[in-house]
Amino acid sequence: MDHFEGINFSELWTGIDACGFYLKPIVKIATGGTTGSSLGICGYYNIASGIYDKVMVVGWEKLNEGGATTGIITAFDPVWERPSLAGALGPLALMANIYASKYGVERSMKAAADVVVKNRSNAANNEFAHLQMPNITTDFVMSSQMISYPLRLHDCCPQSEGACAVIYANENEAKKITDNPAWFKGVSTAHYYTFGTDEKMYNLPTATIASKKIYKKLGIKDPVKDLDVAEIYEPTSWAELAWCEALGFCDFGQYAKLLDDGVTQMSGELPVNPSGGVLSTNPIGATALVRFAEAAIQVMGRGGKRQVPDVEVAMGMGFGGSLWTELCILGKDPKPLR
Amino acid sequence: MVRQKGEFQIRWRTDLPYKWAIGKLAVKYFEELKKRKIMGSKCPKCGKMYMPPRGVCADCFVEMTVNDMAELSRRGILEGFTVVNYPFVDPNTGAMRPFPYGYIICKLDGADTYLMHFCDETDHNKFKIGQRVEVVFCDELPKDHESYRPELKGDIYDIPFIKLLKDQEK
Repeated sequence: MDHFEGINFSELWTGIDACGFYLKPIVKIATGGTTGSSLGICGYYNIASGIYDKVMVVGWEKLNEGGATTGIITAFDPVWERPSLAGALGPLALMANIYASKYGVERSMKAAADVVVKNRSNAANNEFAHLQMPNITTDFVMSSQMISYPLRLHDCCPQSEGACAVIYANENEAKKITDNPAWFKGVSTAHYYTFGTDEKMYNLPTATIASKKIYKKLGIKDPVKDLDVAEIYEPTSWAELAWCEALGFCDFGQYAKLLDDGVTQMSGELPVNPSGGVLSTNPIGATALVRFAEAAIQVMGRGGKRQVPDVEVAMGMGFGGSLWTELCILGKDPKPLR
Repeated sequence: MVRQKGEFQIRWRTDLPYKWAIGKLAVKYFEELKKRKIMGSKCPKCGKMYMPPRGVCADCFVEMTVNDMAELSRRGILEGFTVVNYPFVDPNTGAMRPFPYGYIICKLDGADTYLMHFCDETDHNKFKIGQRVEVVFCDELPKDHESYRPELKGDIYDIPFIKLLKDQEK
């Protein structure tokens, strides 16, 4: 993303040089953390509108160049917000403390470490995941360096370099490409932001708004039963706790119980982040598109060692700097869900 | 930036001056701040008190002017905190931001929104959400304090940080 690497015209390198799109229509989309999901949704709109038959969508990031924390700070108000703001992790840590004060510090800390162990263990089944830590334990996570209380090093996502490309096609073209495509059932976007701290937003209200909208549209009554797998955007372990609650997977404050019951484990009723999630790989401009792509991979049955059995319906989530949420729900059957 | 073995680097330093229009309400805020007053803006329709002040109510889309501004208490309630303990370049200065530092949101008495700012406490065990906090002005600090300034200038560093109040100071 231009903002993080401090460059301009990135669409020219990626679009023309890297992807070979010489003389093709190209558009650059950069919306911060949600870049990948904005790309993913725009790819869908381009096809669904009938303007194009086939579209390739590419998200990428080279976080080795430039500094993401510095870049993120420049997106905020120079007078009121920039002086004390510490990129993404400071506010995420602050929100984690609000969560902990509501639902118990010890319990939440243990649950957060359980999230890391779950996601990083899943990442060991994904050859594309950045961090490979198959033998990770909660003790290891809970004794790692303090980055911003209560976030320890392994409660945080890494800084990754990476890219993700997805081919979109209309009904006729899709049949020529594959016998087994993933079909878009719906997308949803919600914004809730006017100024940094008008609301606490530790429980990501946009995830609640966006998910209620898409569940209603598709007739989903209980996401844990009606979805087969979810790829959510969790930049920190604590984010998975609060945000899965916001997505309606359980009541507020109850995600620890969901973890204890194994519901979101690979063998559970609704596996969350079989890919290892953002906690294992975070090339920011690609990250949310990876969520959509992983949802598609699960629906298409191409997950290899990370494949969840019999996936009919999958959800992908994007999250971005002004605490907004973008969702997609994909399905195996081209017919509408209801 | 760390130079890796065999890596070629070009370095340069440059000033990038720019102007930023902060708006009438923020101008009024900083003028009043010099008089040790902390001003919010109150929506004339729903009565929500915004701190920092701004021109439009986010709920009603009603305009607020300098006439809708009112003084707030310098004390309030701690609503969220962390202690930032990692290095990064501060885009406001171009230098590394000193760390560790306390980073909080608080609700000043009379305000309906939260103020994000520094806190002088860096031991995370000392923070308790819901406790009382107080705005500190730069000229009230001991003269040898790094944030001390002899007079208020009308900028954000007139309030270098917010301090945690001990229980008896409630």
